[in-house]
Amino acid sequence: MSKTWTLMKIMAKMQLSLAGKSTSEKVGYVLLTLVMLPFGALILSLLNNLISTLYDVLSPTGNENIILGLVFVSVTFLFIFLSISTVLSSFYFAEDVESFISLPFQPYQILMGKSTVPFLSLYGTNAMLLLPVLLFYGLHSEAGAAYYGLAFMIWLLTPVIPFVITAIIVMFIMRFANISKNKDRTKIVVGLLGFAFAIGINVIIRLDSGGNAGEDMAALFMQQNGLLELITKFFPVAYFSSIALTTASTGTAALYFLLVAGLSAGAIVLFMTIGQATYFKGVLGLSGGKRSTFNDKTLDENVKETPLLWSLVLKEVRTIMRTPTFFTQIVVQSLFFPIFLVIILFMESSGSLDQISAMLGSWDGKIVLLALFGLTIVGLGINPASFSSVSRDGKSWFNYLYLPIPARTVIGSKLLIAFALNLVSLLILALVAVFLIGIPVWPLVNWLFLSIIAAWVTSVGGLLIDLYQPKLNWTDEREVFKGRFAGLVVFAIEAVIFGGAIGILWNMSSVEGVWITSLILFTLLIVLTAGCHFGLKKLVDQKYDKIL
Amino acid sequence: MIQLNNVTKNFAGKQAVKGLNLTIPDGKIFGFLGPNGAGKSTTIKMMTGILPIDEGSITLNGMDISKQPMDVKRVIGYVPDRSDIFLRLKGIEYLNFMADVFNIPSDVREEKITYLTKSFGIYDALGDHIQTYSHGMKQKIVVSGVLLHDPDIWILDEPLTGLDPKSSFTLKEMMREHANKGKIVFFSTHVLEVVEQLCDEVAIINNGQVQFQGAMSEMRQQFKEDDNLERLFLELTQNE
Repeated sequence: MSKTWTLMKIMAKMQLSLAGKSTSEKVGYVLLTLVMLPFGALILSLLNNLISTLYDVLSPTGNENIILGLVFVSVTFLFIFLSISTVLSSFYFAEDVESFISLPFQPYQILMGKSTVPFLSLYGTNAMLLLPVLLFYGLHSEAGAAYYGLAFMIWLLTPVIPFVITAIIVMFIMRFANISKNKDRTKIVVGLLGFAFAIGINVIIRLDSGGNAGEDMAALFMQQNGLLELITKFFPVAYFSSIALTTASTGTAALYFLLVAGLSAGAIVLFMTIGQATYFKGVLGLSGGKRSTFNDKTLDENVKETPLLWSLVLKEVRTIMRTPTFFTQIVVQSLFFPIFLVIILFMESSGSLDQISAMLGSWDGKIVLLALFGLTIVGLGINPASFSSVSRDGKSWFNYLYLPIPARTVIGSKLLIAFALNLVSLLILALVAVFLIGIPVWPLVNWLFLSIIAAWVTSVGGLLIDLYQPKLNWTDEREVFKGRFAGLVVFAIEAVIFGGAIGILWNMSSVEGVWITSLILFTLLIVLTAGCHFGLKKLVDQKYDKIL
Repeated sequence: MIQLNNVTKNFAGKQAVKGLNLTIPDGKIFGFLGPNGAGKSTTIKMMTGILPIDEGSITLNGMDISKQPMDVKRVIGYVPDRSDIFLRLKGIEYLNFMADVFNIPSDVREEKITYLTKSFGIYDALGDHIQTYSHGMKQKIVVSGVLLHDPDIWILDEPLTGLDPKSSFTLKEMMREHANKGKIVFFSTHVLEVVEQLCDEVAIINNGQVQFQGAMSEMRQQFKEDDNLERLFLELTQNE
């Protein structure tokens, strides 16, 4: 056991260490935390209001525990979704895997070590979501000490089962995926499963809730715990946790809590047992690859002159598509929002789509434009391709420095990649807007034009922040995305600038119509573009050669 | 010609290179020796534009690396000390990329790629990802990429590490041929036998300063004639 503990400590230290971070970066983290505090307070007060309202509505029929049920189901779903990529990366894709395999450790010991950081990172989300809800629920239900004690223990246990189940499923898939010949492609396909999973669950829940919902609901309302059972149908542990907490000081609570604790412990034992048997089978030979045949004909086909900028773009695209972590974090994440939106809209009955169209039709063109533009900013805001532009190269960054490639060509190629990904998201959104919702033509054209400029600005902004504080000293590609505030900073800045502009325009009665609104947004975007480009040029001049 | 004038490089709390002066004439294979951490790689990185120079200047073929970086980078071919680069590209994609960087016309690049990769015995693996290559193969593909544009000055950081005897021999032959054409081969190494066998001139660096620079014959004369190079090296760097 002491070996397992040592491994867990060393792996946590390697990934969470602040060593190598400059003082300014550390100060940045502190400042950012301070800036985020008011946002946190705002979210907490919204959450409190929501729970208070729900509690008042649901408590007369004895269905208030559905709040807990809903929250447990949501966090379970979220934990599973978050764990897919972290488990995959940590267990299989991280480059340090092989160096641990050669040491005399049991598979389960390595697994426990590899689980440490992905598992602990769930507690961040857990603390932000579940903890306040449990607290507010306790306050509204005027619960006693027993509730809070129990709530804390259940809070501690909640991430265990979703994490373990995800890990077991991933290990099982990788056990068989590893048989295939092309390892990298397999890794990417498995990564895509996470994407499919999120959408799949959504579809299942929607299909399940179809039918005579109205009548069923009424019946369920009359019956205590009826709604809870419906909501937690696929997540029994969420049901047990909710019941334990609503009956906090009784024997029932103890029984249900023991059930939750027992299931969690059982899950860990199961995880270690299955891991011991399958982990190495999935991980061994992962770095190998097939040998292809190469001859003069293939040489002829492959050798062609390409302009340098395009050559750099190609190199970048290949690297992103072939590096599983980059692929899932950049391509999948950028396209997640628009594709998710398409699926949700498709799943909706045609009635509600008509309703949306009708509603939009009745709105002023200005409001339609602003709403669409706001939605685009949310969709484009988190563009991992832009804020990982420089960091992706890691220790290989020096290659750009000894080769005769002008800085602006390198930066230009990175910008094009980030912009292209934004453009794809934008096109999907545009198709949704045209074919599914039927947005009026002029707001649509104006929106598309403005969004293309916004896509460019957000790409430049992300790149600017990454160039200012790149993370090159990584050993595992995940570090480019995890534990960095770059993405958050970009998103926060965008939220303030664009959110502010949209809010002001929305409420300004003197600004009317699509064209004037577009003109104002266009001016704002042009100013921002000019500012960002100026900043980028200055930063490239100052920093490009001195990053290392 | 390569000229380093009073070159100094500081890292936080440490002076890695102290007022280094070196002159490397054309037509020579120049060996750059020193113990680990002596400042070899830092010097090479300044020569190739990877690290900015704190004080002093470096000129290659008469061009200052700080003032005309693009011109200098076009005439050098640099093999870094680590070969784990461009791992996600296929061998042929990497070579094509390097050829694009140096604007090599299609027909020439095809011919050069075939010649270099066949000489190093990696032609058949060009369709595979570099990640799947062995350490030696990675080193060979990097060397091939760097030599595609026929650079005037070769700067090789530990170029023979991981190469099999045949490829090592091929590269040494190429180095000799290049120097015979009146060009420069500047390389760092730990392998003293290679230095004895190959170099026209050497410099030994320790603690960021040159301890000795001159022809191999001078070096032997200056110290005990019959001593081997290993003992000489140890003597010069004994404070390590």
